[in-house]
Amino acid sequence: MNAISVMVVDDHPMWRDGVARDLAEYGFDVVATAPDAAAAVRIARTVRPDVVLMDLQLGETSGVQATGEITTALPDTKVLVLSASGEHEDVLAAVKAGASGYLVKSASVTELVDAVRRTAAGATVFTPGLAGLVLGEYRRTSSHAGAPRLTERETEVLRLVAKGLSSKQIAERLFLSHRTVENHVQSTLNKLQLHNRVELARYAIEQGLE
Amino acid sequence: MSATSRRRTPAAGRGPSALAAVRGHIARSRPSETAISGRIARSASSDTAISGRDARGGGATAEVTTSLWRGAVALRVVMLVFAAVVTADQHDRYARPWLGWAVLAGMAAWTVVVLVSYTRDAGRRRSVVVADVLVTVALMACSGPALGAAQLAAGTPLVTTLWASASVVAAGVATGQAGGVLAGVAVAVTNFLVRDRVDTDLVRDTVLLVCAGFIVGLCADTARRTERRLRRALRAEATIAERERLARAIHDGVLQVLAQVRRRGGELAPLAAEHEVALRALIISGVGGSPTPDEAGLADLRAGVQGLATTTVHVSVPATPVPLPGPMAAALTSVVREALSNVDRHAGPDAQAWVLVEDLGGEIVLTVRDDGPGIPDGRLTTAAEQGRLGVAGSIRGRVAELGGTASLRTAPGDGTEWEVRVPR
Repeated sequence: MNAISVMVVDDHPMWRDGVARDLAEYGFDVVATAPDAAAAVRIARTVRPDVVLMDLQLGETSGVQATGEITTALPDTKVLVLSASGEHEDVLAAVKAGASGYLVKSASVTELVDAVRRTAAGATVFTPGLAGLVLGEYRRTSSHAGAPRLTERETEVLRLVAKGLSSKQIAERLFLSHRTVENHVQSTLNKLQLHNRVELARYAIEQGLE
Repeated sequence: MSATSRRRTPAAGRGPSALAAVRGHIARSRPSETAISGRIARSASSDTAISGRDARGGGATAEVTTSLWRGAVALRVVMLVFAAVVTADQHDRYARPWLGWAVLAGMAAWTVVVLVSYTRDAGRRRSVVVADVLVTVALMACSGPALGAAQLAAGTPLVTTLWASASVVAAGVATGQAGGVLAGVAVAVTNFLVRDRVDTDLVRDTVLLVCAGFIVGLCADTARRTERRLRRALRAEATIAERERLARAIHDGVLQVLAQVRRRGGELAPLAAEHEVALRALIISGVGGSPTPDEAGLADLRAGVQGLATTTVHVSVPATPVPLPGPMAAALTSVVREALSNVDRHAGPDAQAWVLVEDLGGEIVLTVRDDGPGIPDGRLTTAAEQGRLGVAGSIRGRVAELGGTASLRTAPGDGTEWEVRVPR
């Protein structure tokens, strides 16, 4: 099996090189690094990595926009947001724009390695922090017409994720299969991303017609 | 996503020595710090001047008040020229023309006095404005004998004519609506006393004078209120900019180094991790929203709770603020803090804790969960029966005061989970 190819996007060289070195030690193929959003989009189109590790605070063009452009242009490339905690709105925006998950920068190397593997395998990386953000977003838009809704089960699962339970623990508590739990989590994200694409298209049409 | 939350310091951390770059970055940032505190100091001094009713031009923020003063002074000069023309035209009809010219001379002299006073911050005092109105009234009174009974009856304008209204405008600018109206009434009453009769012209003058005082006063009051607000906003903006600047400096420097130490492992790694998380929490609670209430008395619950994050305490919040009345936000933050300190005491050193903040619109839900050994069946009840209510009682009490409920879910080996629900 080929090594998973990864691209690291961060404007801090010290951090970028540190992460790249760690990943290389664990057998990943770090094919590129990029210091800003524009370079990230350009390089990603050329090297087509399996996973892009994306910082969100990148200056003029944000990592959010780069995430959207990369996931739209390269459906096989997954974006994993690796950002400082506390950038809630940016993290949520990046996930809506197509990122497969989010990890805080203070995560350990093992957590990072595990997250990259799961992202490459097509799974979502849902930290409790991200679950809290997604839950909050559904609640914020609960009164908006046309906004996506969570089923009761999805809400239940998402709350448990936000409270720090692993999918195995959630499966045990709710008498579900591990796979069903993962599907519920994935579905909460898919609905948000789909709604986001519809909104963007609608906005583009409105702007175009005027 | 506000533009101000972006960090952009291309040079920081890029050189051969990251630490040197960080130092350079912090040193570069200093002048702007001085500039901001200088701005705060300036606004503060002008605030004192205004509250002392001096209406000094305290920099850009007192612009409107200053223009009002300039207008009042210009009006005075124009009115003096007008009065001089009227006097030159009418003086041969006066009973005592010399007195008429004397009154005009007095007006010219007083115009010079107020011109000097009102164009300076120090001269815009209430005492000068009172003197202004008194001198105007006195000069009007002298106009009576100058004109003589026949001319007064014929409706010939007083020597002071429209010039008299300028002091009303000045009073309005200096003291606001009340002062403006009062000065208008004083000048109008003098008008009646000098003429010693009531007719349509005099009533019309009265209405105009009182209205002028009122409207100019209203303008001055509004201008001062707006200027005060603007100053407050500028100060708040400077404070936020300062916090963000510090956050950027910490983020680009210290945090990068700490993260690297943690990643490299070794003896210092756990300590570095602890400080990294603490610093990040500090930055978030300082920039992302203040735990201290804003002008409407609302505080963002997220800010307080996020400040409690550590390497073992994970906090999940919505992306948008959770505004609550200040005391309520503080009380809920204390509840979380208490539950977490209980985790610290009972769940062992390796236990992790998760805090979830949910805003259901009409209700706030806080969950604090740990993965410790949990509490054996009946232990809480025993403690309560023995009168040792401890943490559980304290948490329930605080939540009940807010009209909410607190429930504890625990089982041996399955950690503890507090769920607090409070109506908004």
